[in-house]
Amino acid sequence: MKLQVKVNPDTGVIDDAKFKTFGCGSAIASSSLATEWLKGKTVDQALAIKNTEIVAELSLPPVKIHCSVLAEDAIKAAIADYKKKQVAEGKTAEKQPQPTA
Amino acid sequence: MAIKLPIYMDYHATTPADPRVVEAMIPYFTEHFGNAASRNHPFGWEAEEAVEKARKQVADLIGANAKEIVFTSGATESDNLAIKGVAEMYREKGNHIITAVTEHKAVIDTCKRLEKEGYRVTYLPVQKDGRISLDELKAAISDKTILITIMAANNEIGVLQPIAEIGAIAKEKGILFHTDAVQMVGKVPFNVNDLKVDMASLSAHKIYGPKGVGALYVRRRNPRVLLAPIIDGGGHERGMRSGTLNVTGIVGFGKAAELCRQEMASESERLRKLRDYLNDKLHKNLDEIYVNGSVEHRLPHNLNISFAYVEGESLLMGINDVAVSSGSACTSASLEPSYVLKALGAGDDLAHSSIRFGLGRWTTKEEVDYVADKLTHVVTRLREMSPLYDAVANRRTLRTWRIRARSSITTRTRAMSARCQKTTSTSARASSARRSAATS
Repeated sequence: MKLQVKVNPDTGVIDDAKFKTFGCGSAIASSSLATEWLKGKTVDQALAIKNTEIVAELSLPPVKIHCSVLAEDAIKAAIADYKKKQVAEGKTAEKQPQPTA
Repeated sequence: MAIKLPIYMDYHATTPADPRVVEAMIPYFTEHFGNAASRNHPFGWEAEEAVEKARKQVADLIGANAKEIVFTSGATESDNLAIKGVAEMYREKGNHIITAVTEHKAVIDTCKRLEKEGYRVTYLPVQKDGRISLDELKAAISDKTILITIMAANNEIGVLQPIAEIGAIAKEKGILFHTDAVQMVGKVPFNVNDLKVDMASLSAHKIYGPKGVGALYVRRRNPRVLLAPIIDGGGHERGMRSGTLNVTGIVGFGKAAELCRQEMASESERLRKLRDYLNDKLHKNLDEIYVNGSVEHRLPHNLNISFAYVEGESLLMGINDVAVSSGSACTSASLEPSYVLKALGAGDDLAHSSIRFGLGRWTTKEEVDYVADKLTHVVTRLREMSPLYDAVANRRTLRTWRIRARSSITTRTRAMSARCQKTTSTSARASSARRSAATS
């Protein structure tokens, strides 16, 4: 699962989000839903997205819960990567893909 | 010709009953409803006569004598009866059984049960092409070996085992040989005497007959195989399988066997051409796809392909108007990918990416074209959103990237984002996500 976010440097709002996923339908749907939810949120709001919300929205069966966990982890990793780059490079609008799983 | 959707291409799982089979069965539900074991009135006689006719039809399909056919509820029961029956009957002779890792669960789990009861079981590995090694088989044989059970054709990859050679080895060593022939019988020639098979499990619903009926071929001469029954009762089927006979099912099984015997040659040739056409077309349209198992030693109607960098279940969801099956873990509750593909050394990735195609009596060229086109489309789309395929594609075009990177450092980012855009807008799976975005 790969998640890319594009953050507006002035407002801290996520303008755009993209995903790439190798996995079952539930994993693809979870990451797709994550990108839809990320758009328009601030970086800190994004961190509040929980895998249980993804499970509820997609009605995932118990055997597919781990797919939603992957999506939550991907969001966290992408935001962490963004923050790290902010510190390292100053204001960076676009960030590079972040492999998480 | 218009194609009727969904398309059924899972003929290894089951087959629809041939209308001619159903027609033969119908009178035995109402008109000739007798119990084949009722010896003292015409109702019973009629039923018995029908069963004996079917027994002959099934026997003829595999070159056996009618007396060597024991009707059961299906191949799982046949496998159980053969393995447990021999294990108990020949216990004094030995306690060792040889089988293979790619066997059907009906064989493997039966062997596992026997291991708990003190039997020793050797599970032979398979080679990359899915076939066992005859040298390894010979090496596994000991003076305690009482049974070799190796399937004729694999249900997932359609690979044919060297049954005749195994039969010869078993005969030479005086060991009984059972084969689960469910997928092979009725599809390609199978003769118990040519192949030196002592027992063979058969199933009606894999050969366009009804579900719930199968048979075990049990050799009566040279050698005479003795089986301890696993179901006790009225002593039906020569005491090997008690229980009132499923007369309607058996009649259907017999008719289905007869049709296969008459039409097998032309049908398998037609299906082989269609299967090869499907395989060629997929290979032409897509890169990085691999046929699992031997191409040479294979059922004519089977194709099992791994589509690298795409996960099997998401592929199945993408082609939801085509019924096929996958070795992907995501289609099973256990989260374990196909043990058969893993046994070939395919690696988890390729096992997860596999699709099994089973062609059959009513598969048309139009259907094959539809499936090939649809798959090409879906695999391409899923690869567009696969980070793994991305990495490979990038590596392959690394030189190109380097040249472009020199002219413009942002080319790559823009190209990637354009590709993602396309992916999202065409993704069926993203529709639910879009719906939620609209409401949030």
